Amino acid sequence: MSDERDGRGGGRGRDSKDGKDGKDGKGRRGFFRRKRVCKFCVDKIDYVNYKDVKLLAPFIPERGKIQPRRISGVCATHQRALQTAIKRARQIALIPYTTD
Amino acid sequence: MSQVRQYELIYITPPETPEDALGELHQQVEKVVHQFGGNIEKSENWGRRKLAYEIARHREGVYVFDVINGPAALNAELDRRLRVVDTVIRHMIVRVDEELSVAERARVRRKTAMAARRVKRGLPPEPTEAEKRRDHDDDDMDGLEQGFRGGRDGDR
Repeated sequence: MSDERDGRGGGRGRDSKDGKDGKDGKGRRGFFRRKRVCKFCVDKIDYVNYKDVKLLAPFIPERGKIQPRRISGVCATHQRALQTAIKRARQIALIPYTTD
Repeated sequence: MSQVRQYELIYITPPETPEDALGELHQQVEKVVHQFGGNIEKSENWGRRKLAYEIARHREGVYVFDVINGPAALNAELDRRLRVVDTVIRHMIVRVDEELSVAERARVRRKTAMAARRVKRGLPPEPTEAEKRRDHDDDDMDGLEQGFRGGRDGDR
């Protein structure tokens, strides 16, 4: 009887532990996961300047494509502004169209 | 009279362009601008810069940046002229007045909203110097990320 109870108790303990892990997993999933925030909203940048290569560089991966916002976490408004800025910068050869 | 708009003009010349040719080019631009009753608000020479890709077999170029106020007809004429000039290998004219005013409105709106919030909490509308200093260090994520990366390098 007492053994059974202990077993159950252990089981319950594990259950609650699993529940905790699940809760943690939502936020971090074991690995360190950055909370998605729009860089332009955080830094309060109203005008995405196409002449500022340093500002645009983080959103242009090696290939030279525009990073999708599902990865960079930029909000829709700023992604639109970023898109035009990158396209302008490309026109005057500040940023490559493609790199290979 | 037609509406005055603000444009940003950037043009690129080959790296070996002599100074006087650049001056001449600037005068040409100025002449067209004045012809249409506009004015050059700002003119910057960015100097030699590496191009992100080859233009007319050049890997580098001299960038010149102008801020111009003038009517829409000026934009069209300037664009046409620059297309013809051989010493300009690439140019771009962008209308910026609307975007800048939108950005300015957003800035003012945020500032007034912040002031209203602060007044509601019984604080002065503008952040004090001490608060500003604290704001600079609020991004604790960067530190964490760096530490994490450093640890991984150490393991290898």
